[in-house]
Amino acid sequence: MSTSSATATPSVSAATLLGRRFSVRSAGVVYALVLLVVLITIASSAQGRSGYLSSVNISNILDQTALVGILAIFMTVVLITGNFDLSVASTAALSGTIALELIDDTGPLVAIIAAVLAGAVVGLVNAVLVQKLGVNAFIVTLGTLTAVRGIVQVILDGQSITATDTSLLTLATKRWVLPTWLGIVIAVALLGYVGWRIVKSSDRARTAAESSVLLLSGLAVLLVASLRPGLLDQTLPTWLMLALALATGAVLRYTVVGRNLYAVGGNPEAARLSGISVDRYKMGAFVLNGGVAGLVGVLYAGRFNSVDPTVLNGAELTVIAAAVLGGTSLFGGSGFVGKSVVGALILFTLSNGFNVLNIGANYQNVVQGGVLVAAAALYTVTNQNDRKSFRERFGKRAGTPSSTQPPVPAVEKQKEPVG
Amino acid sequence: MNQTPDVPVLAVDDIHKKYASGTYALRGVSMRVRPGSVHGLLGSNGAGKSTLIKIVCGAQSSTSGRLEWNGSEVDWSTPSHALEAGLAAVHQHTPLVDTLTVLDNVFLGARDGARWDVGARREELTALCDRIGYHLDGDELVSELSVGGRQMVAIIQALAKEPKVLLLDEPTAALSSHERDVLFAVVRRLREQGTSFVYVSHFLDEVMALTDHLTVLRDGLVVLDCPTDETDTETLVTAVVGERLARIEDSAPAADRPVGDVLLDVRDLASSAGFGPVSLQVRAGEVVGIAGLLGSGRSELLQAIFGADPRAKGAVSVAGSRPVGNTPKKRIRAGLALVPEDRNRQGLLPEWEIWRNESLPYLGAVSWRGLVPRLSAERRTADRSVRDLAIKTGSIDTQVNQLSGGNAQKVVFGKWLYGSAKVLLLDEPTAGVDVGAKADILQLVRQQAADGRGVLLVTSELEELRSVCDRVLVLRRGQLVAELVSAETDLHQITAHASGLQVQPVGQG
Repeated sequence: MSTSSATATPSVSAATLLGRRFSVRSAGVVYALVLLVVLITIASSAQGRSGYLSSVNISNILDQTALVGILAIFMTVVLITGNFDLSVASTAALSGTIALELIDDTGPLVAIIAAVLAGAVVGLVNAVLVQKLGVNAFIVTLGTLTAVRGIVQVILDGQSITATDTSLLTLATKRWVLPTWLGIVIAVALLGYVGWRIVKSSDRARTAAESSVLLLSGLAVLLVASLRPGLLDQTLPTWLMLALALATGAVLRYTVVGRNLYAVGGNPEAARLSGISVDRYKMGAFVLNGGVAGLVGVLYAGRFNSVDPTVLNGAELTVIAAAVLGGTSLFGGSGFVGKSVVGALILFTLSNGFNVLNIGANYQNVVQGGVLVAAAALYTVTNQNDRKSFRERFGKRAGTPSSTQPPVPAVEKQKEPVG
Repeated sequence: MNQTPDVPVLAVDDIHKKYASGTYALRGVSMRVRPGSVHGLLGSNGAGKSTLIKIVCGAQSSTSGRLEWNGSEVDWSTPSHALEAGLAAVHQHTPLVDTLTVLDNVFLGARDGARWDVGARREELTALCDRIGYHLDGDELVSELSVGGRQMVAIIQALAKEPKVLLLDEPTAALSSHERDVLFAVVRRLREQGTSFVYVSHFLDEVMALTDHLTVLRDGLVVLDCPTDETDTETLVTAVVGERLARIEDSAPAADRPVGDVLLDVRDLASSAGFGPVSLQVRAGEVVGIAGLLGSGRSELLQAIFGADPRAKGAVSVAGSRPVGNTPKKRIRAGLALVPEDRNRQGLLPEWEIWRNESLPYLGAVSWRGLVPRLSAERRTADRSVRDLAIKTGSIDTQVNQLSGGNAQKVVFGKWLYGSAKVLLLDEPTAGVDVGAKADILQLVRQQAADGRGVLLVTSELEELRSVCDRVLVLRRGQLVAELVSAETDLHQITAHASGLQVQPVGQG
């Protein structure tokens, strides 16, 4: 295919792309996690506990993160569409309750389906109130959060319940080992596919830069499979979180549906006038979120095969914190599910670290709150800087560079009273 | 005023302004505002008017050149410097606090004394109102005022600061004719009292009527600077608009351009949004213009044709189809395309790249199995659009909020040109666009028609209507009152119909 000189406009160079991808603004959350792990490892070694980076501990962290991680993935989707869903934790609690109540009578399959459906119904209620009635999403989901929690309390009447059927327990705690050979095959396939894309493209450096994350992931899987196969032994919820993150991330990044989701949140009016069914996408995100919350509720109930009226209380804030740590904008139009999962990992690595280092649990909330605010501040500050430095880099410097943009013409709409 | 009449109260001398992005907005502009005069400032968008205004008001600094106040050089780096010196500005979209009363707004931010003395403020307000000859009710909430009323509040707010120079930026764009007369009376009255004005407007008739001296900017330079009574409308038009647009105007469409089948058929379309029932047709190869005053329902009509108005009733058929359902998605699929009025709010996703914006309406068509967009195809189309539309950008990866108005507008066009659209609905396509891009867009519109599409064009710029359209439909208060053949009519007749001066049945030019 023709070289870039034949195209009318040069695209952004590979180096710039790479710089942007791995900048603090884009990948900061990953760097933060790595830093955190390093710090805790050092601290725990210093204290004489050397098992921090063992496969067992890492698996523990992943397992603890899994359920909040799954919720964070779909909360990110809702946030991308420009909405807000505070009711996820209550919905999960409701679904877990329903599952345990039903399972002894109806068996696991029906119980799970009923639970997920219940979650979807809550999602539908949210969707209709927000999209059709036009009530602010924050307020609506605050209301459903409270009401649904109330329903849980009504059903449980102050008791905690359990079930004799232990299918849910198995589901939530069973471990599955990815065979090493399969891991290697997957890694090689991924690297092979990316390599093929690069070779086939007209601008190899650029395609390589664009696929950098995929490349790194492939490498990571390869390394894990070959050097630390113990890490291929995880619980079902962990695998589910990873699978859902990959699937959702792929849909968001590579499909029309994903593009439309971002459009709907980025500028709903422009999306509508481009032919996108804004209502359908926004409502769909709520219903999906509700259904997934239902599934998470089932898994949560399965952990100890019991629920009590306070189960998952306050968890919605942790989910939102994870999404914010991952750089998701609360105004809609941007966000990456992978980064939200990393955000969740940071939160649970912190709490796990506190346990390992024997720091009192009282300090946890202080640190978590501080981390959240620091991250949000960092995102805001780097956002403004990025814009300015982008302009200065791409514009010519003539005289005193202005700190503001060229003015939008004062009269955007020339509506003259004719005559 | 204790000023020598020869010393201008406000002057700029050889002002240059270059932005970091490379835009050279002002290339040596000089202007002198004499005391006790109304000085008009004219120029189309992109001429540098808004930049000059910002510099004069202290909102921006110039790259080089002098700013003088009463003869001495000043360096205003913030608007409050300008205010303290005695220059107040009333901008087009005045930021008033809707939830406060007129009294609160007029004295917003006034800091004389710690106590808010309502009685004294009321007296001040009455005195100010007497001074300008227009009375406001101090207790009325600003949110309940008409646009004209808000404008008056803004003016009084500026006057409360006792300025020596009052800068009015497009003050009449949203006023009714009565309110405009009131404004003129106020300006004249204040001028007698010694206040100077910088009157920025693109309404040439107003500038001719009101100002004593005027300056015309084009492409960052002063192309005309003279006392008002030494010039006339024709000279002004040429100065503002330049040769290029005049050339398009001269090449008015031939009376019998070949037109094909009916591509758009609208029957009895009406909506509580403010128009109807309206029926019209657009044929292949035709550019049909819609003219009308502010509030005549033009934009609402286009939106309803596009399916974007859920309240609309009536039938819209495309290329002989049965009436198409009332959603944008269905109408796009049938072959309609809309370039909306407000490109930032309705047409683009500001943080997305050019190529990502352009592919949005027909994304399924460039996707594998309609599911996975093919990036290479999207980028190829974007490259093509940049070439075809002469979009000035470094790359197709530029975010559209980094583009100038004209280029952003071209991106909006680029969304629709390479798909299956049969009829283009254009709502003020050249609003807020610099003169060069304006000409490009108009050429583009004619080219689209020549390629076999139908175009329905709403614009306030009557010159465009005449030069680009084959037929002009005039809308007044939501009804079609006239259908004129472009080659057989002129601006006066269009205006007359639009303002209700000659009510003739549709079809009689």
